[in-house]
Amino acid sequence: MNAGLQTRMDRLFNRHGDGRAVCVAADHGYMSDVTPNVVNLRPVTEAVIRGGVDGILLSPGQAVRLASYFQGRDGPALILRADWMNMPRLGTSNVANAVPQRLLIHQKVITAQQALDLGASAITIYLFLGYNDQIEATGIEVCARFVSECHRVGLPCIIEPLAYGGQVTGANSVEILTLGARMAVELGADALKIPYTGDVETFRDLVETAEVPVLVLGGARSDYERDALELFAEGLQAGGMGCLMGRNVTKSPDPQGMVAQLCGIAHQGRSVDQALRTEAWDYLRLKAHPAKCTGCQLCVIACVASHDEGDYSPTLSRLRIDPGRKQGQHRVMYCTLCKKCLDVCPTDALRWHAQSGAVELLVDDCTACDECVKICPTQVIVHSDTGIQIATGETLDWYPVVCDLCAGEPECTIICPTGAIFIAERKELA
Amino acid sequence: MHSKTYRLKEFIGSKDNRSLIVDASAGLSLGPLPGLEQFAPAVQPVLPLVDGLITSPGQAGKLSGRTRQDAALLVRADWTNALRGPDFVLPPETVSHIPLLNPTDALDLGASALVIYFLLGFEEVIEAGCLHNTVQLSLKGTQVGMPLIVDVQSIGPRVVLHDKAIELGVSYALEGGADGVAVPWSNRESFQNILAMASGVPVWIKPTSLDESSTQLGDALQMGGTGLWLDQYLFTAEDIPAVLSGFGEQIHQQEPSE
Repeated sequence: MNAGLQTRMDRLFNRHGDGRAVCVAADHGYMSDVTPNVVNLRPVTEAVIRGGVDGILLSPGQAVRLASYFQGRDGPALILRADWMNMPRLGTSNVANAVPQRLLIHQKVITAQQALDLGASAITIYLFLGYNDQIEATGIEVCARFVSECHRVGLPCIIEPLAYGGQVTGANSVEILTLGARMAVELGADALKIPYTGDVETFRDLVETAEVPVLVLGGARSDYERDALELFAEGLQAGGMGCLMGRNVTKSPDPQGMVAQLCGIAHQGRSVDQALRTEAWDYLRLKAHPAKCTGCQLCVIACVASHDEGDYSPTLSRLRIDPGRKQGQHRVMYCTLCKKCLDVCPTDALRWHAQSGAVELLVDDCTACDECVKICPTQVIVHSDTGIQIATGETLDWYPVVCDLCAGEPECTIICPTGAIFIAERKELA
Repeated sequence: MHSKTYRLKEFIGSKDNRSLIVDASAGLSLGPLPGLEQFAPAVQPVLPLVDGLITSPGQAGKLSGRTRQDAALLVRADWTNALRGPDFVLPPETVSHIPLLNPTDALDLGASALVIYFLLGFEEVIEAGCLHNTVQLSLKGTQVGMPLIVDVQSIGPRVVLHDKAIELGVSYALEGGADGVAVPWSNRESFQNILAMASGVPVWIKPTSLDESSTQLGDALQMGGTGLWLDQYLFTAEDIPAVLSGFGEQIHQQEPSE
C-alpha cells in the first residue's frame, strides 16, 4: 500500500492501536434543509472532540473554517465529503421542504488533490443503488474516478453505498446493501460507510464480503440513545471497525457524552450497559468499608493493570492499602475528591472534570513541582515511573499519577471480592 | 494576515466590520438598465460613498483611477438568465447559470472579491451547479487569496418557504466555503438563524425595497449583520449621493450590535 495512504488510514483507524474508529458525520448542512444540529458547528465540533472522537466528516467549506480543530497529533482525523446530493430533500422525509426536489442529483464536487490540500485523512463519496440505472452508473463513474485520484495522492477513499429509490423494498434492502458493499470494494474503496442491516448475522455477511474496514452509519436519530449504542455495538460484534454517526451524535443533547459512550464501546470493550452508566458518572465517588478489607491487594493490582502497560509496579497504583495486623484494621486509601491538589497546583494543571467527576491532569501545563503529591491527605497521588515530553518540547522527569475513576467503572470496585471499596451513590455529589 | 482576509478588509471597515455594497453588475444579464445606460458616468459618483462596487468583468476596466477613498472592486463571476422576468425581451424558457471567471481572472482585474449567485427554486441541476461553483471557487480562491461572496437568490418557482429557502442557500454557501453572503431580508427570526450559521462570516442584507432599506438595515445591524447590499434599483433614485450618504452614516455610525 502507498505509504501516504497507510499513514492516513492509521490516523483514522489506529489512534488507539485497535484498528477502530469512532467518527462523527457533521456534513448535513451541505445536503439537507437547515436543521438545528448544523446551524453552528463549532460547539458540536468542540464537544465531540472532548468526547474523544477519532474523525469528523465535514464539507469543504467547514473544513477550511474549522481547520484549527484538526491540528496536532491528538486532533481528530478530517474526513471530507467530496460529493454532493439532494437526497435528504426528496420525498416525504424532508421536514422543512423549503425548496422541494423532484430528482436525485449526485455529483463530484472536489478532487482528491483538493481534499489532500485541505488536510483530509480520507474522503467519503456516495454510491446510490436502487434509484435508477443512470444514477447507479453515474455513481460508479464518480467512485471509480475518486478511487483512482485518491490512490494517486495517497488518500483513503471511503465509499458509502446507499439503498434508496423505487427499486428498494424491505425485502431486498439488505441484499442491495451487500451488493453495494461488494461493488464499492471491487471499485477500490479503502473503507466503507454503510447502514446497519438490522441484525448481526446479515451485517457479518456484508463485512466479510467487503474485506475492508466497515464503518456503520447511524441514520436518523434514534428516540433513545440506547438504540444507537446497541446498533453500534452489534455492528462491532459483526466485525465492523467503527462508526461514522451523524444525527445520533449531533442532535444529542450531550454530543460529548454520546461520543464518549461510543468510544467506551469501541476502544474499551464496554458493553452498552457499561457505556450508558458513564452518563451518570458526574456524581461518581468511591467509598470504603475498612471492616470488609482483607488486605488482599487485588484492588492495587487491578488499578495498575488497567492503566499501565509493561512491568506492573504497585507504586503506580492510584489507591493503597495500609495493612493492619488483621482484617478490620486495614486502611483503604483512595482519592476522596477533596480537591486539595487542585488548590495548590500553581499552574492549574489539575482540574476537576465536571463530567467525569475525577481529577484530571493537563500534563502540558504541569511543571512537576510536587505540590499535589505533598498535599494529598491520602497520599494516593504518586510519581510516574517514566518521564514525558510536553507540548512546549520540555521533558518532565515524572508527572503526577492521579485517580481517573477508570472512566466511570473503577476497576478496584469491580475486582474487590468483599465489596470493601465500592461506588457510593452516584448522585451523592449533586 | 491571510490574504483572503486582507482583501475582505478592502471593502469591510476594519474598525466596525461593516460595509455598504452596491451591485451594478445586472447589465450582464439584463442589458442597459435605467440609470446605468452610461456605466462609468453613472457609477463614478457612487465610488466615494460605498465600500464595494460589484461590476461585470467587462465593466471592471472602466473603474480605473480609483483612490483609497473609493469603493473596492468586486467582480461578478457568473451569468444567469434567471433574473429575467416574463416581460423581458427574451424571457427565459429554461434557466441557465454559467460560470465566467476564476479567482485568477479576478486577480488580473484587480478585484477584491468574486461574487456569484446561488440560485434556489429552479431545476435540480441548477442548484447542483451553484454548489459545485461555490466549492471550486472557494478552494481555488484560497490558493490565490481571493474571497468568494455568495449572493443568495431564492427566486425560483419551486420556492415554498421563502425564509427557509434563504437559510438553505446560506447553509449551502457556507458549507461550500463562502467568505461572505448576501441575503434577501425576510424577517428578524430568520436573519438570526442566518447569523448563527454564519458564525462570524460577513452577512449583508438585500432590502425588499429602497424605501424599506433603512428599517431593515437598522434591524440587521443591531443583530450583528455586516451591512447593506443594494442592487440596480439604486440607480433609479432621484438623489443617489444623498441616499448612499444616509446609508453610509447609518452603517458606520450606528452603535455596535446587541
